Amino acid sequence: MCDICMKHGAGGKWYLNARHYSEEIAAKYNLREFLLEQYKNFEQIPVRKVAGVSPAGLGYKLRIPIIGRLIKRTAERLLSSNRAPKNPFRPEGHIGQVVPLEDAIAILEHCAAEPIIQKNCMCRYMSRGEKEACCINFGVMSEIIDRLPRFIPEKEKYHLSRQEAIDRFKEHNRKGYIGTIWFGPFPYINNLCSCATPECAGIRPRLDFGIHSIYKAEYVAVVDSVRCRGCLECVASCQFGAIQLLPRDGGVRIDAERCFGCGVCRHVCASQAIALAPRDEIPALQGCY
Amino acid sequence: MGFKGGRTKIRIDYSLCGDTVDPRSCCRCLRVCAPAVFQLHQSFGVRQANAFDPQSWRITPLWPSLCTRCLKCVEACPKGAIRVSG
Repeated sequence: MCDICMKHGAGGKWYLNARHYSEEIAAKYNLREFLLEQYKNFEQIPVRKVAGVSPAGLGYKLRIPIIGRLIKRTAERLLSSNRAPKNPFRPEGHIGQVVPLEDAIAILEHCAAEPIIQKNCMCRYMSRGEKEACCINFGVMSEIIDRLPRFIPEKEKYHLSRQEAIDRFKEHNRKGYIGTIWFGPFPYINNLCSCATPECAGIRPRLDFGIHSIYKAEYVAVVDSVRCRGCLECVASCQFGAIQLLPRDGGVRIDAERCFGCGVCRHVCASQAIALAPRDEIPALQGCY
Repeated sequence: MGFKGGRTKIRIDYSLCGDTVDPRSCCRCLRVCAPAVFQLHQSFGVRQANAFDPQSWRITPLWPSLCTRCLKCVEACPKGAIRVSG
């Protein structure tokens, strides 16, 4: 269990704690107004200065001794903030975790608050200029998107039933997108995204800059070397570069330190040689999220 | 161009892209860039940006440290607005 689960999971995984999806929390923190303000100005939030530091050229800034470390710590503190959300112009309390298909289905079946919608992925729009409907939103967030037409997919249906949302998510997951669940803002969960690197603004800080912006999943992929036929499809599907070819015996090895446990590699494996194991059960990975 | 190593500088001439042309209508540099260095966004410094105003949209090379200096963006830009130096 990761530390968010320990604090806010009520004995299980934090994203399966239905309280985080409730109207009660949305009303308590006045999230209708907060999120409307945030999403009206969404495309300028990633480029805004935080504590006087602009994110432009962040990679170079992080290399400056001492100051770099301070910037990193400030960013991490902001993202994993547990305080009541106050400033809609900052990504306060916007921390997420990778979820495999099974957990995402459990979220959509049992936890997600109605109405459920799909909206255009803004990360992909901002870094590629293309609109693709692959974020699934719940509750208050859906009401807000109704009022902001640029997030609404043009050609596809956008209000989804639970089953449609599950089918949609499955489709993305099979395509190779990583499922992620996000607090937005803490303690309200409203985003189930299907992300891809390097476009995703949530995964990028962690992979490229070492800022802890997303937790690895509660699982890790393990390969059954007897079943593996060495077709290497999984190597191509891994977005984290965690799967390595072993040229001598024609199989693959999964680097458990790099694996985020998204489970996308399972879908391309023709011989079903890859399975997910709970991260906690592997002694070397305990506490590595 | 002579790269010396060290920091990559990517400059966009906003008189060619952004001020008069709506960057949302082109976005070629965004698509060709493998590490997705560029970011399309609404201009900063404005408290309440109006998403319907074309002039509020900009493309900024936000993550130059990830640039591989392949110069595909320079080739792709129809206005020749991008300059990369090191």
